[in-house]
Amino acid sequence: MDYGWNEDFEEFRSDVRAFIGGIDTPALREELASGRDDVRGPLMDAVVDELEQRGWLKQCWPEELGGEGKSQWYQFVLVEEFAKAEIPYGLGTASMIGPAVHRYGTDEQREKYLPQIWNGEMTLALGYSEPNAGTDLASLETMAVRDGDEWVINGQKLWTSAAHMSTHVWLAARTDPEAPKHRGISMFIVPLDAAGVSVRPIITMSGVRTNEVFYEDVRVPSDALVGEENRGWYILANALDYERVTLGSAGQLFHTFDRLLTHVREERPELLEDDAARTRLAEVDLDLSVMKALMLTNASIVATGETPTMEASMLKVWTTELRYTMSSIGMDLLGREGALSEGSDGYEPFKGELENTYRVSPFLRFGGGTNEIQRDIVARRGLGMPR
Amino acid sequence: MDVALTEAQRLLRDALRDYLTNEVPFDRIRELEKAGGSDQELWEYLQSAGFLGLPFPEELGGEGGELTDLGVALEELTRRAALIPFLETMVSAVAVQRHGDAGVAKEIVEGVVAGTMTLSPALLEGSGDPDAVAMEVSSGTISGEKQFVDYGAEVTHHLVAANEGGAVGLYLVDAGADGVNAQQLTNIARTPQAHVRYDGVAARKAAGPEALAFLQRLARLLAAVQCLGNSQQSLDMTVEYVSMRVQFGRPIGTFQAVQHHCANMATMVLASRFLCYSAIWSLDQGRPDDREIAKAKLWASRTATEVPMMAHQLHGGIGYTEEYDLHFFSRHGKERALAWGSAEECLGELADTIEEIRAWA
Repeated sequence: MDYGWNEDFEEFRSDVRAFIGGIDTPALREELASGRDDVRGPLMDAVVDELEQRGWLKQCWPEELGGEGKSQWYQFVLVEEFAKAEIPYGLGTASMIGPAVHRYGTDEQREKYLPQIWNGEMTLALGYSEPNAGTDLASLETMAVRDGDEWVINGQKLWTSAAHMSTHVWLAARTDPEAPKHRGISMFIVPLDAAGVSVRPIITMSGVRTNEVFYEDVRVPSDALVGEENRGWYILANALDYERVTLGSAGQLFHTFDRLLTHVREERPELLEDDAARTRLAEVDLDLSVMKALMLTNASIVATGETPTMEASMLKVWTTELRYTMSSIGMDLLGREGALSEGSDGYEPFKGELENTYRVSPFLRFGGGTNEIQRDIVARRGLGMPR
Repeated sequence: MDVALTEAQRLLRDALRDYLTNEVPFDRIRELEKAGGSDQELWEYLQSAGFLGLPFPEELGGEGGELTDLGVALEELTRRAALIPFLETMVSAVAVQRHGDAGVAKEIVEGVVAGTMTLSPALLEGSGDPDAVAMEVSSGTISGEKQFVDYGAEVTHHLVAANEGGAVGLYLVDAGADGVNAQQLTNIARTPQAHVRYDGVAARKAAGPEALAFLQRLARLLAAVQCLGNSQQSLDMTVEYVSMRVQFGRPIGTFQAVQHHCANMATMVLASRFLCYSAIWSLDQGRPDDREIAKAKLWASRTATEVPMMAHQLHGGIGYTEEYDLHFFSRHGKERALAWGSAEECLGELADTIEEIRAWA
């Protein structure tokens, strides 16, 4: 057991902080604030380029992937410092699909896809869910049929959230309708500009856009298939583990809580005189520490080269439920001003962040594998309970 | 940072687990609970195997281990419901050894390592506030009452908090001396506990306020480890039981309702583990953080309440019987949840220090 940080990590941390200090300009903040969703602007693109040049983005990846094979703690420190600064630099789905292509693709596919995935030329939306395949994802019905050197895809996907800002879809399709449902699925990389692909927006209650995507006789070359035919479910399950870690990213909760405390101190000091209010804030503080404990436990497991499964699911459940309870408690404490959204002439507390967080929170609890499925994973894969 | 046990800790844990499994049957604990007293045979083993020297420097005859090692050993002992003053002796001796009088410390550590000396801290007075010490040392003697002294009638010495010349300190008292009267209590865990009256008993200065503060921090964290041990054991017993108990033609562990309870229990326990050991590690490094310590105990206390009680729910009737072992952990868990700062007390401390919150620290 060692709960300290060694000097190398601390040194890297101060390097990252210095770097962030250098790029953190009003112009960048403006770009970040005016951007929609996760689309990077030119300034942020330059930041990511610089990170790449410094070798910071891939230093923890294996050498055969172009990385340096360094301890995963460097990655953790990098992510943490950017999260503290509230500058999203994320590689998004690249960090999830890149490893899958590396692990399951052919040499030719690795050469063809990986450089583009890593440098951001190719961005991938996740084409998993369908109208009749949500939590029971393996029952998906979108078909891919081989026709000579090509695959022909037909079907409908739902919640392909990044479809309107990606170049490709990482698509799960059925390739053997006769096989048991988990054993007839394959994974494809499909260009979103292919003939027969159409994207229809769906606006969510948080204001964020997601999409449904229709595939009508979409033809892709045979090398669009990644990994073994009909073994796609296992590739997908492996990639989902990465998504869980990504979705569990929790830095924003610390910031929201900080801003809540600042608001209470400055605008509502009477609350700090109230025992009940102080106690509720203390409970949130405790829950954040529990989140941090789960986060660091996960990171420690990753750093030793293992894959956290049970622990990643625990973190996902805890973080997403805390997002809901924390925003709700914050709104309760503030009373009616807690419900105010941005655009209330400055009467809204810290730009309406609480009500926005509250509105986002349902998505994170059911998205990325519902919290019920996560608890199944903890029980079955983690604790070894019977099916 | 590495949350895994070190190789040495794994060996230590396995050795202790082997011994406890083979040599300390739960029926012996049952008999001890009925008869009162502590497990002498186990204490002798711990002495002979070197566990009593774990956290002390080698020059004093100790093993030179870390405080986290002490936690690992205590967690294992807790998982066997061991009835011994291990926490009490260790926090007393470590506090004096690290922050007290060198001469007294040497005597205490050597006595503990040799197995001739056991100690228990005697801090609490009527108010229940460990920091409100009214007892005065007068001409080298103390008089008055200390409450909730764990193993107060079993240990050879008490480490009593008292004031002298306006400063609070820790005083070594021979528990067998004339004028020491222990009034035995019967608590939910059936662990020996007493209110102790002192009438003009000789008290030797062992340490000052720094040692007292350290002792309280370490005791709070080790009590949190005891909470953790009771919780982990309850969880493990439950997962094993529901995986084999068949109803409706299938193991009840296949039901999602049961699985989700277990997943929630496991999450509480895992977080508890990190919070406890990371705070012990920081204390060992000389960088204690009282808010983190309060959080560790608060969370561990809640876990030691909720997890064993849910374990009972999932076990049903069999887990409610005297002959099944689960009750050790639900009873011990709740008693430890109250010791050295209950969830309520810790939450109150956190609420009173809201201004100190540093979310990203």
